Amino acid sequence: MTHLPPALSLTGLTRRFGTKTAVDAVSIDIAEGEFFTIVGPSGSGKSTLVRLLAGLDVPTAGSLHLRGRDITDMPANRRPTAMVFQSLALFDHRTVGQNIEFAMKMKGVPPEARRARALELLRLVRLPEDYYPRPVTQCSGGERQRVALARALGSDPEILFFDEPLSAIDYRLRKTLEVELKELHQRTGKTFIYITHSLEEAMVMSDRIAIMRAGRFEQIGTPDEIYRRPHSRFVAGFMGEVNILPVSQAGGGAVFTDLGLAAPGAAGAFAVLRPEAVRPGGDAGVGFDAEVTQRLMLGSRTQFHLRAGAAALIAEVAAGPQADLQIGQVARFSFDMADIAWVDA
Amino acid sequence: MRGGRHILWLKVLWVGTVVTALYLPIVSVVLASLANTRYMRFPHKVWTLDAYRAAAADYTTVTLHVISLQIAVCVVLLSVTLGTIGAMAYARHDWRGRGLFQKILVLPIFFPQPVLGLALLLSMSALGIAPSWKTAVVAHAVWIVPIVTLVISIRLFGYDVAQEEAAFDLGASRWQVAREVTLPALWPGIFSGALFAFLLSWSNLPLSVYTSGADTPLPLWLFSRTATNYSPLVPAIAVIGTCVSGLIVVMLLLMRRLLAGKNQPV
Amino acid sequence: MRRNPGFWYALPMIVLMLLFFAAPLAIVVWYSLMPPRTFDLTGDIGLQNYRTAFGDGYGVPLMWSLIGAALTTLITGLLAWPTAKILHHHAGRWASIVTALIALPIFISESVRLFGLSIFLMPGGGILAGTLNALFDVQIGTFLNTRFAALVGMIYIHFPFMLFPMLLGVAMIPADRIEAARDLGAGRWAVLREVELPLAAPGLLVGGLLTFVLCLGANAEAAILGGRAVTVITAAIEQRFNYAQDWPMGAALTVLVIAVTAALVFPAVRRIDLNRIIRR
Repeated sequence: MTHLPPALSLTGLTRRFGTKTAVDAVSIDIAEGEFFTIVGPSGSGKSTLVRLLAGLDVPTAGSLHLRGRDITDMPANRRPTAMVFQSLALFDHRTVGQNIEFAMKMKGVPPEARRARALELLRLVRLPEDYYPRPVTQCSGGERQRVALARALGSDPEILFFDEPLSAIDYRLRKTLEVELKELHQRTGKTFIYITHSLEEAMVMSDRIAIMRAGRFEQIGTPDEIYRRPHSRFVAGFMGEVNILPVSQAGGGAVFTDLGLAAPGAAGAFAVLRPEAVRPGGDAGVGFDAEVTQRLMLGSRTQFHLRAGAAALIAEVAAGPQADLQIGQVARFSFDMADIAWVDA
Repeated sequence: MRGGRHILWLKVLWVGTVVTALYLPIVSVVLASLANTRYMRFPHKVWTLDAYRAAAADYTTVTLHVISLQIAVCVVLLSVTLGTIGAMAYARHDWRGRGLFQKILVLPIFFPQPVLGLALLLSMSALGIAPSWKTAVVAHAVWIVPIVTLVISIRLFGYDVAQEEAAFDLGASRWQVAREVTLPALWPGIFSGALFAFLLSWSNLPLSVYTSGADTPLPLWLFSRTATNYSPLVPAIAVIGTCVSGLIVVMLLLMRRLLAGKNQPV
Repeated sequence: MRRNPGFWYALPMIVLMLLFFAAPLAIVVWYSLMPPRTFDLTGDIGLQNYRTAFGDGYGVPLMWSLIGAALTTLITGLLAWPTAKILHHHAGRWASIVTALIALPIFISESVRLFGLSIFLMPGGGILAGTLNALFDVQIGTFLNTRFAALVGMIYIHFPFMLFPMLLGVAMIPADRIEAARDLGAGRWAVLREVELPLAAPGLLVGGLLTFVLCLGANAEAAILGGRAVTVITAAIEQRFNYAQDWPMGAALTVLVIAVTAALVFPAVRRIDLNRIIRR
């Protein structure tokens, strides 16, 4: 591996609004061609962070380097980056073509060259060429997404930023666009920095994910690492429904406080356990009797809400004879200690 | 629903009556202008366009229109400029004091116009400023600028400010952002604002009464001549004045269409 | 884009309002405190003009203006409500045309329209009387030059000012709320009282306020249609300024009108969220 400078390097990047710190000394290097996603709940500072990266806002402290060059004080219109906005921010008084050509027009590219490039970009985002003269106001939701993407690509940016562009799109279309975006990333080889509140969305597309909380990165890792080894209950909570079991020290060793069972080899204050790791039957490491309090069909799997002692757990079971449990029934469940991710907070 | 048809007819009748009532006086003015006697006895014995010929020959007609026009043009320019800038503060930016600004802005609209005119007259006289068409421009502006600001603000509220950031992010300079994004997006609002300003100024009576001094705009002349010295010339000039304003509006609309056509790609 | 430029954008407007709205009103207030029949602003401050205003029968024109404004507001409101409901309910091509037709006269000078109304109502050779006489051989009188005629003129001129804010107000009533109320057993009146009026309130308030305030200052209606039957406050003020040459007295009367206006407008403006009406 040659020593390329990182595509984008953040050092102690901070943004305060009055007494509130929205982005709190964030430092990270993002590699060339990486698909890097920042996930966080609303108010976590992720939008402020991406605005700092794009140059739409100025950091209170810290610095920002693009391929080794200091761009901290460079305004957005001079940065070789482009953003796809949450609202898309398409120019509604203009056509699809004029939107895509905007950055080129600002650079003074002659009209014929602009047009040729715009048509090329339309193909790249899978829109028919006859969309070129249409007013953007006549485009559907998905088409507007593609126009916004083509417009950002039209400035030939070194880095593309995405500020939750898919948040207002319905589920099925979102799934399609996620895959297209991932393919586009692979084809263009550009660095993508993506903001979302959905870890699910991040998992599908990203090379690396940062979980953001209160202006800081709580955990940075590959999707697999985040999924298997969350560092905190907060990260674990982002993965949707998950069992978090408190562990306490009693007598000789650790016990699951609510289950009242021994927790040999416990390595943290809480055990994070995915619902599919809780299985009917007693063949795994830790077994317990539980009452089924709710039964929900999820399609290929069935979810059971369980009560065992003071603990409430969720189990998900693949369709089959094992999933044949009814509400009120008491059955044996178990899980493997190896499936547990240990967290301290 | 039973009786639905009858209700519909009642509704049509009601709306028809309202519209008719609104237009009867206007039609009456047109009818009155077609007489040739000083004392009107309708139906006229002789239907004639004499009054229009007299109006066309009378230099007063031109003077009245010129004064009204110069007031209206100044008011349009003033209110569009100030209104666009003011709308930025009203609807585009969130700033400390915006709430207060929004409330203060509407006060001249909710104010009796003749009283405003009188107050302006009194203070100008106190300061030794002689009322003329220029002071009428000021009086009109105090009332019309806030209205135009609201009209442009309506447009601005429906406008995604992120468009400006997107343009900036795509390499546009601040000036280019204004020229390529902000102004074109606001243009429909600015244009409607200009039309409003023109029509409101052209037809205004209560503000002009006390502030225009020796320069008499159309509505004021009509007001004084209906009371004294009536002749069919009065309704004729009323009709001409209204048609002229209509023509100017149509011309502006056509111009806008032509300009829009040029900017739109084929 | 570090500092928010909102204030700077507001500045030209603030200057305009201070110079040509606030300052004139302040000068009028100052004038009203000067001794009667003076023309300079350096006399001794006193409330004498106000004492005269209440003692010398100036309360009558003010009362007529207030009554006229209140009646006009009430009647235009009653006329505009069904009209607004119909136009909103049957929204579409026809409604748009009708709406435009109603809006258009606003842009024709009120002197033209009031003049038209007077020749329409004129006895003998007026448009209405003449037509009836020629077609049906019916002779009718007239109510021209009465207080009633002035009121009709005010209603005629101010109807659109009531209607348009009311249309915005009616548009703020979601149709499903009315259906929900019906479904829950509300009758026609209950729907009106419990759902429609409260939801349309911002529009009604704006329309009512606008109409009332404009009527408070209106004098063309009384001048053209009312004859000498009624003297409104604006006419009384004008009379003080022009003929009596008593500026401080005129100023004191002006201040009274401003005070009435302010007493109505300030609480209302504080309550109305114009943003919400405009944003739609």
